[in-house]
Amino acid sequence: MISLRSVSLLYPNGVRALDHVTLEIAKGEFVFLVGHSGTGKSSVLRLLYREIRPSSGEITVDGIRVDRLSSRRVPALRRHLGVVFQDFKLLPDKTVWENVAFAMQVTGAPTREILRQVPRALDLVGLSHRSRMYPDELSGGEQQRTAIARALVNNPKILLCDEPTGNLDPANTTEIVDLLLRINLKGTTVLVATHNQAVVDRMRRRVVRLENGKVTTDKERGYYYLGLGQGQVLSG
Amino acid sequence: MDWGRVRFFLGEVARGFTRNAVMQITAIGTVAMTLLLLGAFLFIRTTIADLGNGMLQQIEISVYLTPDATPHTIAALRASFHADPRISTVEFIPKAEGLKELRARTRGVIDTSLLTENPLPDKFRIRVRSPQLVPAVAGELRRLSGVDNVVYGQGVVERLLRLDTVLQRIGVAMIALFVIVATIIISNTTRLAVYARRREISIMQLVGATNLYVRMPFICEGLIDGVLGAAVAIILLVVVHATLWPRLLDALPFVQFNTAVVDVPVLVLQLFLVGGVIGTGAAWISVGRHLQT
Repeated sequence: MISLRSVSLLYPNGVRALDHVTLEIAKGEFVFLVGHSGTGKSSVLRLLYREIRPSSGEITVDGIRVDRLSSRRVPALRRHLGVVFQDFKLLPDKTVWENVAFAMQVTGAPTREILRQVPRALDLVGLSHRSRMYPDELSGGEQQRTAIARALVNNPKILLCDEPTGNLDPANTTEIVDLLLRINLKGTTVLVATHNQAVVDRMRRRVVRLENGKVTTDKERGYYYLGLGQGQVLSG
Repeated sequence: MDWGRVRFFLGEVARGFTRNAVMQITAIGTVAMTLLLLGAFLFIRTTIADLGNGMLQQIEISVYLTPDATPHTIAALRASFHADPRISTVEFIPKAEGLKELRARTRGVIDTSLLTENPLPDKFRIRVRSPQLVPAVAGELRRLSGVDNVVYGQGVVERLLRLDTVLQRIGVAMIALFVIVATIIISNTTRLAVYARRREISIMQLVGATNLYVRMPFICEGLIDGVLGAAVAIILLVVVHATLWPRLLDALPFVQFNTAVVDVPVLVLQLFLVGGVIGTGAAWISVGRHLQT
């Protein structure tokens, strides 16, 4: 579903954000991308939704060669992807319903389809009762659930999350992580970049660790660890 | 037709348009000023061109013959004038008639009874089809044998023709300047609108809206600026035409302006068209430049 082959990313200022990263993610997998800030987690996600292009290497997302994708075809790629951010990126002057519908409206979806899909997405994230509220009337967790509903409303095959719990307290974090798991169980491939240890430990999913732009460990059902040597695990 | 979709789109345009009302008004005002100038210029130029044409149409060439011109020479000249496609009318005025005309024209001013003999030569009075032809035709006629002198109000024709060109250049330069100013202001309005909505734009791009779809509301705003500006300009032109124009006519009673030559529906259409093109063009350029893709 997602494939990176020897991908390097060099910023114009000479910083090497990614250094020959190779990564395969199968359909339906749930993968954590972990590492300290500035180790290239976000860069990997931004490469996948073609916010940026790699300096070298091959990137394939759902059969599309993203590294070679022309700007004109980027919208088509993004309709296959849902993206969620730490800061939610909701529109403050639109209600929950409107925020979710927005993703369909701006891609030209027919009204009938919008009326069918938005309630389904809101139901999935458990926000049907909040659909008329504005983002600033919601808790952080509810705002992130709105953002997730928006990311899912177009039925993407892949959900990319960049620090989705970064702004949330532990209770809300749990709520979001459980939601992501449920989404994954419905068949969506989920890739989560995070440095939140509790999240990773709770889920016991595949963990890919990035250090200085390189993949240092890639473990099935791994645990998060901080400041330890390569391959070491904090707890059983 | 999916009305929900149309309503959403129009709602987005309306929201964008009202969000930055001051800037939009500035943009509309600038377009209106530009088009007011353009409209006034087109109107005045058409009227003056018509007036000038009328005056130029009346310009005649007097071809004075040498005193020794024989009836044979006169006949030959008349034939050659008739054969010239540029010449529209030819009138022969023998010296006796010329003197009669002179006496009629100067009655009470000069006592022509003192004239003991007729000092005037025979002459042809000629009109050409287009005022632009006058100097050239006059020059050719002067070289014909039997022709002594050619008079056509030298200088006046050239000056009128030159005035027309100068007016046109000044008008074009001023309009070009205003078009540039209007374009810059609309571009700037668009830039601010893009900036104000960068969050929406980034989300639109993130969920896979096409570039055209992202640009469309801004282009529409530019179009609205242009068309509203044109409407304001047309209203102002109508007001000016109703109030100032009659006064101008009163002040210049000896000038025969013929305003009927201005085709009003065409002028209105032209102004709307120019306004729309300026608005969409400026917005298109600006949104392209400020939208990172």
